[in-house]
This record gives sequence, C-alpha cells and structure tokens, in this order.
Amino acid sequence: MARISVVAPQILRTPSERLPIEAFGHKLIVHGNVQNAIESILNDPPECLLIQKGLQDGIDKTVITALKEDLKLSFLPIILAVQEKDIMSGIDFSRYPVDEIVCINAHPEEILTRIELSLSRSHRVADNNPLTGLPGNTSILKTIQGYIEQETERAVCYVDIDNFKPLNDKYGFSRGDEVIRMTARVIVNVVSEEAKSEGFVGHVGGDDFVFSVPVPAAESICKRILESFDALITLFLNPDDAERGYFESVDRQGRPQRFPLTSLSIAVVPCTKGRFNHYGEVSLVAAQLKKKVKAIEGSSYFIDRREDAEKA
Amino acid sequence: MDKIQEIKDRLKNLKSLPTLPPIVSRLNEMVEDEDVTAVSLGKVIEKDQVLTSKLLRMVNSSFFGFPQRISTVSNAIVLLGFNVIKTLIVTSSIFDVMQSSDIGLWEHSLGCAAFSGIMAARRNIKNPEEVSTASLIHDIGKVVIRSEFPEYYAKIVEDVERRGVFMREAEEEVLGVQHGEIGGWLADEWNLPERLSIPIRFHHYPEKAGEFVEIASIIHISDIVIRAWGYGFGGDKWVPPLSHAAWEQIKFGKAEGREIMEELDLRLSELKNFTMEF
Repeated sequence: MARISVVAPQILRTPSERLPIEAFGHKLIVHGNVQNAIESILNDPPECLLIQKGLQDGIDKTVITALKEDLKLSFLPIILAVQEKDIMSGIDFSRYPVDEIVCINAHPEEILTRIELSLSRSHRVADNNPLTGLPGNTSILKTIQGYIEQETERAVCYVDIDNFKPLNDKYGFSRGDEVIRMTARVIVNVVSEEAKSEGFVGHVGGDDFVFSVPVPAAESICKRILESFDALITLFLNPDDAERGYFESVDRQGRPQRFPLTSLSIAVVPCTKGRFNHYGEVSLVAAQLKKKVKAIEGSSYFIDRREDAEKA
Repeated sequence: MDKIQEIKDRLKNLKSLPTLPPIVSRLNEMVEDEDVTAVSLGKVIEKDQVLTSKLLRMVNSSFFGFPQRISTVSNAIVLLGFNVIKTLIVTSSIFDVMQSSDIGLWEHSLGCAAFSGIMAARRNIKNPEEVSTASLIHDIGKVVIRSEFPEYYAKIVEDVERRGVFMREAEEEVLGVQHGEIGGWLADEWNLPERLSIPIRFHHYPEKAGEFVEIASIIHISDIVIRAWGYGFGGDKWVPPLSHAAWEQIKFGKAEGREIMEELDLRLSELKNFTMEF
C-alpha cells in the first residue's frame, strides 16, 4: 500500500492499465500537468515516483536531481520510464540518479513489480535517522575512516545542541523534534552550498550531528551555521522565554531553576594527512574539545589547533 | 453548490497559483548561474507575493516539519536550501496572459510591504520582516479570484468600473465573500502561521485581529497610504476608509509623518527601479 506519483504521459494511460496496480492497494496519483505535479510532490511527497524520461525542457532531469539532492527526499524511490531505444543506447545514470527503470511499453504487471521492488529496496536502507533522514553512525564511521585511509584532508565537525533538554522538558518532545529537524536542515543547507560535493552530514542521534568539509572552509561554515541557528531558534521558543532570555523551571525540591536558552556548539577537528590512524582517535579528540566549547555560553565553535603544534 | 463552498473546495485542491512571467524568467536565468546563492534568489522571491506565499507554504508543510512556524522568506530560505528553492522556481507557473492589473496589484503589494516594513521598525515590532511579508501577501485572495475564478473576476472588475464601488464590495456581491477572507482561508489551508493569516484576513477590519491587531493595523494603513500615493493599482481607484482603531494603534504626528514619507519615497523609488526592469 503506497502512494505513487505518476508523471509520465505515455504510461498507465487508461483505467484498465492502472487497475492491476490499484488492485494491489496502491494509490496512483496521475498528473497531467508537469508543473503542478512537481509542486504537489514537494508539498506532499508520495512514497514512490514514476517519471518519464525526456519531458519537455529537460524538466525530468531537473526534478530528479533536485529530489535526489534534498536530504529528505533523496530516499524517495524514483522509477524512470524510458523508451526501448534508451535501453539499446544506454542511459547515463550519473545524469539520471534514479533507482529503477521501466520500459514505456511494459505490461502493467511489470510496472507493478518494479514499483514493489523499489519500495522494498528503500525500506532496506536502515542506517538513516528516521527523524532527519540523515545517514547514521555506520555511514559516519565509514566516511571518516575513508578520509583517513585515502589521506583526504577534512575538518570533522561535531555539533551539539546545548540546553536541549530544558526545551524538550518544557515544550514537549514534538517541539524538540522540530528543533532537531531545523538544526539538520540548517547544517545540510550550509554545508551543501559552501562545500558542494566535498561535504558530508550525518546524524549521530538525539541532538548530536557530525559534518565534514574541506579544512579551509570550516571556519566560515561554522559561523554561518551558528548564525542561522540563532536566527531560527527563537521561532521555536515561547515568546516569554525568548524575551526573558532563559528557561525557568523548578527542581525536585520545588526551588526555581534557570537554564540558558538553547544554543549550538561545534567542535572542529582538522584531520590533516597522517594525523590520525583510526576514527576512534578523531572522536577522542572531539570529546575533549566538546567540553571546552560547551563551557562557552551561547552558540560557539572551537577549532582544534594542536595539530599545528604537533607539526612544529 | 454555493459559491463559498466552491471557493473553499478550490482552495483545498489548489495545485498552483500563477505569477508574473518576467519574475519567473529572471529567476530561471539566475538558477542557471552556478555561483548564485539561495540568499540572492530569496531577494527576488521576496518581491513577488505568489512566490513568497508558495515558499512559505512549502516550509510550513507537514512534510518539512515546521507547521505554522516560519513567517519570513529569509528563514524559509535557510531551511529549504538551494535545491528545493530551485525546483520551486523551475516548476512555477505563470499567467497565460498578463494583464496590466496584474502588474498594478504587484506594485501595490510591494509598496504596502515597503511601508509596513518602515512602520514596523519604527514601532519596535520584534520582527519587522514578518510584518512586511504579511503586507506583501495581504491581497493574495485577489490573485486567487483572478486565476481560479476568471468569470467571477471579470464580473467583479466590470462592477468596479461601471458602478464605481470598492473592489471588496463587488466581491461580496458576486462571491458572497471578500478577498481578505479568501486570503485567510488560503493561508490556513497552507499552514501559514497565524501571525500572517490573521492580518491577511482582517486587513480591512484590523480591530478584529485580536493579538495581531498591531500588524493588521500597519497593513491596513499601508493599503491606504500606498493607494493615496498613487503607487501601483489595488483593484479600484478608491482609498479605503481609515479604521479608527488601526490609527489609534500606530498613529503618527506631523513631524514623524514627514520622516516616514521621506523614507517611503526613497524605498518606492528603489522599487520603481526594480519593477521598471520588467
């Protein structure tokens, strides 16, 4: 049972062609107008998209790329409907980063099978954090170990939301989830704009994130992330707390307690060539740095400069 | 089916709202440039009431997970990121035929946003950008009527011209509801924050805007000032009557009035430079 958007004028045109798929409980959302289709996909994403290759103005390519580059929508399985000649001549999948193909003149039963396969494959991708859609610990470890092994220099940055617990306690977990999603989007958008394909963002869990970027870009990226976070976080606080400048609550003895407002801290570990042999060493340095940066009030970042001293 | 139900149903299923072709083609050119940033796209988007509303619709949708929370273009831009904004641009729809009244309404909305921004800053409202955003999209209900109900729209325009009534009076007669209410319904349907939807709904009746009376009053007065200034075209040639309650909220004396008008003059001539390019 899934909702499937169909943006393919030459496929599943008649009710009788759609019947075998609908009989399986899937809901087909067939779009006649491509422009409207894309807007509704973005506003209310389906579980699978069937899109035809070679739509007017290359809009198929634009849409596929945009969906695959968005952190949350990248998990939406996309099936490309192609002509027979495309299969003969081959398809450049770096330009069409899709998950499955199906031929325009395939039987509805085959289309159904391809849809089912795509859905089941997408459920197998388990490492991603369900709240943010970001890659989790396995991918983070692999990525950073990869830098070490291939001697790629990267700044590995550990992000923590400070005073997240008082916010969660006071407003409830659904507001807390919003703040985590907000943080994820801010990090991803800044990293992908500034570091393009050289950046990576992962979600360790809870209020902990990791991102990596080229070393020279790290400082300006941290600044932008903190700036954006600080501008947005007030929208997630109740106006009276934002105005007061701290959270108020009572401890177990009923005494009033104050907590600083939620902020962000980033500990930056530059992984330069030969500095580390294993991911564990990186996270150890990060743990020490985190203590320092957390001690600073408000949003802040701290770049580990010790590597320079080691070299000298 | 009665018209009100018809309008509400249409709003529920509203897939796309068209906007002015020149803005969309300008943005389409911009996204082709590899060095263009999300922020620079935002600077153009925030000059179009339809694109601004769509951007806010997207960021406040349950999918992105910030329902009724985001009220300004700059915050939406940070959260959505370049790729989503690019997709919004390349798939946005345009008016098949652009009428001079479309440009008039666009200029009217921009003018109101400019005045509201100035006023909000002067009254120390916490987030002036939010007030100018609400002001920019306050007449979105008119765009809905124009694009979704062209026959009713033609009748309304004809009534305004023939009988010299206010546009909202003609709307009331033809549709049984005014553009403010329609805009409010759309804003609710699109999950926009109340800080936007309530002032949109009550910009002609700011005293009804409850805790948002100040924002609604600023928009109400901006509508009057911009029409009196003769900037853009709000749908009829009349300057609406001033709500006493709104004036009490944000009134200014002669000296401050002069300063405001000087600031506004500057902003409007900047805007004129922008709009003349189209």
